[in-house]
Amino acid sequence: MTTDNKLLLVDDEEGIRRFLGLTLEDMGYEVKTAENGSVALEMMQDFQPPIVLTDIKMPVMDGIELMRRIKKDYPEVEVVIITGHGDLELAIEALKHEAADFITKPINDDVLEISLNRVREKILMKRQLRDYTENLERLVEEKTQRIVELERQTAAGQMVEKFSDFLSGITTEVENRTGLFNELPCLVSLHNKDLRVVACNSLFRERIGDCNGMHTPQMYAQEASADTECPVQATFQSGNGQRLKATLAGKDGTPLPVTAHTSPILDKAGEVGLVLSIAVDMTELSRLRDELLATQRKFQRLFDEVPCYITVQNPDFTVAETNRRFKEKFNEAEGLLCYREKKGREAPCADCLMLQTLQDGESHQMETVVTTKDGEQLNVLAISSPIRNAQGDIHQVIEMYTDITEIRRLQDHLTSLGIMLGSMSHGVKGLLTALDGGMYRLESGVKNDQPDQVADAMNTLKNIIGKVRKLVLDILYYAKSRELDVQDLDAAKFLADTATLIRPRADKANVRFTYHAEEKLGSFAIDAAALSAALVNFLENAVDACEGVEDEQRQVEFSASGTPDHVVITVKDKGLGMDKETRDKIFTLFFSSKGSKGTGLGLFISNQTIEKHGGSIAVESEPGKGSTFTISLPRKQPAPCPGLHAKT
Amino acid sequence: MAKKIMVVDDDKEITSYLTQLFKDNGYETVEANDGSEAHDIVAKEMPDLITLDLEMPNEWGPRFYRKLTQNPELKKIPIIVISGLPSNQYAIQKAVASLTKPFDRDELLKIVKQTIG
Repeated sequence: MTTDNKLLLVDDEEGIRRFLGLTLEDMGYEVKTAENGSVALEMMQDFQPPIVLTDIKMPVMDGIELMRRIKKDYPEVEVVIITGHGDLELAIEALKHEAADFITKPINDDVLEISLNRVREKILMKRQLRDYTENLERLVEEKTQRIVELERQTAAGQMVEKFSDFLSGITTEVENRTGLFNELPCLVSLHNKDLRVVACNSLFRERIGDCNGMHTPQMYAQEASADTECPVQATFQSGNGQRLKATLAGKDGTPLPVTAHTSPILDKAGEVGLVLSIAVDMTELSRLRDELLATQRKFQRLFDEVPCYITVQNPDFTVAETNRRFKEKFNEAEGLLCYREKKGREAPCADCLMLQTLQDGESHQMETVVTTKDGEQLNVLAISSPIRNAQGDIHQVIEMYTDITEIRRLQDHLTSLGIMLGSMSHGVKGLLTALDGGMYRLESGVKNDQPDQVADAMNTLKNIIGKVRKLVLDILYYAKSRELDVQDLDAAKFLADTATLIRPRADKANVRFTYHAEEKLGSFAIDAAALSAALVNFLENAVDACEGVEDEQRQVEFSASGTPDHVVITVKDKGLGMDKETRDKIFTLFFSSKGSKGTGLGLFISNQTIEKHGGSIAVESEPGKGSTFTISLPRKQPAPCPGLHAKT
Repeated sequence: MAKKIMVVDDDKEITSYLTQLFKDNGYETVEANDGSEAHDIVAKEMPDLITLDLEMPNEWGPRFYRKLTQNPELKKIPIIVISGLPSNQYAIQKAVASLTKPFDRDELLKIVKQTIG
């Protein structure tokens, strides 16, 4: 042990260092010396002595301090203190700091040797103790690891045992038709590697048949067994359980829809020895599914056939769904914006039913006018209702439109009749008073023998009777759908005559009015009085539309062209124009865009006149750019149908 | 001196009737066919009574009446409303009477007599 012989001698007296150093070398130590604690510390690192022999009183760093430092940095090094004679206190202090021993000056060689031997023995013992300790720890660790490993193996073994017990239990249960598996409301079967059914439960036997020796694919309905992968086979191949829908062939050949689960059962070698198949009968579920489908179809048919136009709308104004009738009358609107498809608007309607329903969850209804894809205008009664999701939140709104055009038409007719009677009653009162007056003046003239007065009164009376007659005819016109008094007329001449009626009004309003008809326009069969009134109405509206626009826009074009079957009349102005909503409503009764100046009767009656002629009106208009009314009239009137007129 | 009645109505047949009726009963008459014409005449003629229709072109009855009341002299002239409008009594509140066409001739004469003698 070469290292054990090393010794560092620390003393400030060179004599002692030399003398004592030689003595120690004689004792067999490899000695190095240092003159103070500080130098000694520096030497510790390289020299690594197990023993340090140090004087206490030294300059720079004394022995006590040196020992403290050594014990801190090199705890295994033993320090022996050399003290002066009678310096007992310092010796005790040194022992407190774990000095191995102390030797008093003058140093007796024998004492020194004994002391150092004792120290060396102590070092040796400590080292052995440390070795033992380390060994012991290692041993404990080794043993512990071994124990843990054994425990693990045991646990794994137990699990394997339990699992095989479980599986063999199942197998036994299935084989013996006993236990839980036999009672399970599922079709349980056990298959071997040859794809033969080796065991099954009673339900399986009841539904599929006797399983003994049954070929596994036989279980499945014919069409399924051909191509689709057999789950049992798949489990044998992959070693993994399968789950899939399949159709089993029932005992009497009826297909049996099932959801089949398969699990591998490993043999002792860890191979898949058997496959357990558990199939859940889905017949009831499929019956419910079929019922649901039938209900859905029924609902869909109802949705499509109900005599309303139905849309289902999302809160972002897109159309989620429409029924067949809606699709027939309007465009395919799914996914598009409702206000654009139904109303031709660029923004949601101010009186939007859906918004109201979304806000309060209530049903709302209103009457409005919508335009079909053929440009036909329908009066509809719109009703909105909320559609709630499973959480009870309104996530969509259903809107139903009932066509009430026919009802409105009748209502309009009745209302217009009422209006006429109302406004006429005033005229009637005037006429009655005048009649009264005429009679009085006649009597008074006769009584006073005033022939002039009598003649004048007679004239007045004749006049008033004429007025009464006209009034009654007017009432009859509105009360009853007047038959058209149709005549074949030269279209160009008729239209030119109509144009002269409007010219003074255009001049007065400072509107340039032009009339142009195609050459050889030909003739058409019309009621001149009624049609003339209707056309004047359109022309007057065109002139009125120029009110307040720039001078260069103040113009109205009245023109006509012919086709073999129709005469097409155009009234075009460059005036105010209309937005889509106004355009949709102009032919409805009492709708007027002229504020207090209009009655809302004009275009309504004109439209009726054109309709009676079998004609049609198309409107193009844009705000600020003017409007064009294109009136197409057939050249010949169809023979009147008595049934139709009887109805009106 | 005979009292003067101004007849205002746009219907000539009615003005002739009223004129004849009043003349036969000893009154002097003057005619106007609408409110503005009546307004032009009234200050010049200074009638003792006015029969006024309500619905007339150019200037209807109520407006004529409003203008009339702005003149302290003219506003004293009593007015009888003769009109086809129902509830015409609300149109001119200070009218001595409101008759609805067709009116009762004797009743009118009675009111005129009570008002101006």
